[in-house]
Amino acid sequence: MIRGRGWALLLPALVLLLVVFLVPVALMVPTSVRPYVPMVGITSGFTVRYYTRLVTDSYYLEIIGRTLALGSTVTLATLVIGYPVAFFLARTRSRWRNWLTLLVVFPLLLNLVVRTFGWIALLAQNGLVNQALQALGVIQEPLKLLFNFTGLLIALIHIFLPFMVLVLIGPIQNIPRDVEDAARVLGASWLSAFLRVTLPLSAPGILSGSILVFVLTISALVTPRLLGGPTYQVMSTLIYDEFLQRLNWPAGSAEALLLTAMVLALVFLSGILARRTGARA
Amino acid sequence: MTAAGLRGWLLRAWVTLVFGFLMLPVVVIALASFSRTSYLTVPPKGLTLRWFGAVLGDPEYVHAIGFSVILALVATLGSLTAGVAASYALIRRRVPGGAAISALLNAPLIFPGVVVGVALLQFYALVHVNGTLGSLVLAHMVITVPYVVRAVMASLQGIDPELEHAARVLGASGPVAFFTVTLPLIRPGIAAGALFSFIVSFDNVPVSIFLLGAGQMTLPVKIFTAIEYGVDPSIAAISTMLIVLTGLGLAAAERWIGFHRFV
Repeated sequence: MIRGRGWALLLPALVLLLVVFLVPVALMVPTSVRPYVPMVGITSGFTVRYYTRLVTDSYYLEIIGRTLALGSTVTLATLVIGYPVAFFLARTRSRWRNWLTLLVVFPLLLNLVVRTFGWIALLAQNGLVNQALQALGVIQEPLKLLFNFTGLLIALIHIFLPFMVLVLIGPIQNIPRDVEDAARVLGASWLSAFLRVTLPLSAPGILSGSILVFVLTISALVTPRLLGGPTYQVMSTLIYDEFLQRLNWPAGSAEALLLTAMVLALVFLSGILARRTGARA
Repeated sequence: MTAAGLRGWLLRAWVTLVFGFLMLPVVVIALASFSRTSYLTVPPKGLTLRWFGAVLGDPEYVHAIGFSVILALVATLGSLTAGVAASYALIRRRVPGGAAISALLNAPLIFPGVVVGVALLQFYALVHVNGTLGSLVLAHMVITVPYVVRAVMASLQGIDPELEHAARVLGASGPVAFFTVTLPLIRPGIAAGALFSFIVSFDNVPVSIFLLGAGQMTLPVKIFTAIEYGVDPSIAAISTMLIVLTGLGLAAAERWIGFHRFV
């Protein structure tokens, strides 16, 4: 009786996710192995060329490599920049603490297109960053900060930094202060207490924050599209062009499935890692 | 200064710098939207509200704002209904495979938005519902339902199931006990979930951009395409409006439901 009611309550959400999420994603598998002929469209037949070219053709390898490089650099940067901020927010007794936390949340809730637009204004040839650097005499000629790795990197760090900070606050808060104090009392310097006690104890937060930021970075579409343009491609903008510009849905499906596989593999791996470190702690 | 004092000072300096970095684009947009020039410049040259007038007088923008609001409201209502029911079942009823089900419900959170977008583009074309408002609402429900489930489940976990039980013992039917006892208690969770859901739907580009039919345009997709055509201060003006509304919404949510507990 009770069991039946539980299923009935779950039914709307389950049907929604099954029909409007799982089935559509699964249907990309058959599409991805059908040949696409320009001017004709998707033909019947079977081919794995959209997969093989992803791992053999240097054009696609460069895009995949660039996506992964952005993912790891953004993850590392947000971790290094964000950890002290999370540490501060976790430990401070300021009565402004909740409002400061909300100040981290605010950019997150602000429209992504708007935030990206802000970076266009900042990084453009005659943008604020170039103006400031030239006024300070650091550079003579304006730097090229749009449509390349640097610009994309700066904007993506800005966009995903709040995620890292918010994920880290909880695990840092959970570290008992006594453990650090004990290390200090036993003669450890502040640095070695931090490196050997605090940092390892916040490993679960570091792991989940890093996986989250990496996954979000390699999936990002809006920022790479607006700051990279049609020429400086990452995987998601490649998929976008394949579906909306080139109309080569089979190729787009193969690329989308590869991106999905990468994301799922990472999430799965982090689950295993989390269980291992959790078991050791 | 002691070593500890110096470290504290350095930490504060770093935190201030990072907050400055986080707010930098926001400040730049807000300033640029008041410039008299027809190109984007900071600090603004002169002071004018004409770009705000230009946006609010542009029927395309007005239509996109209205469409986005309606889409986000309907998707949020749908997500709330499906999400609250599912959260209740997962927390209060012993459902076999509960862990797998909640993993599935949360999957759209980590799934690349662009993949959901292209998958639905093909699927909707296949079943001939492409370009309809209903299909767009369903797509937005998929990406918003995880936020509702997360917030409501967190809220439900903090409530003693015995309270609803007591109402049942005192003669209330199941639905009456739920709606008069449990629902009021999880109101903060529902409000937080609804707010997240509204924002996620209202902001979405990677799913909407593949699914919009003729005559349909959401605000973020409109801004996205406007930027691709060329940057001007009217984009800064609409952005400034969104900045102000987001800020006010967040402050209100914090006052009413203690929003920081749900992030």
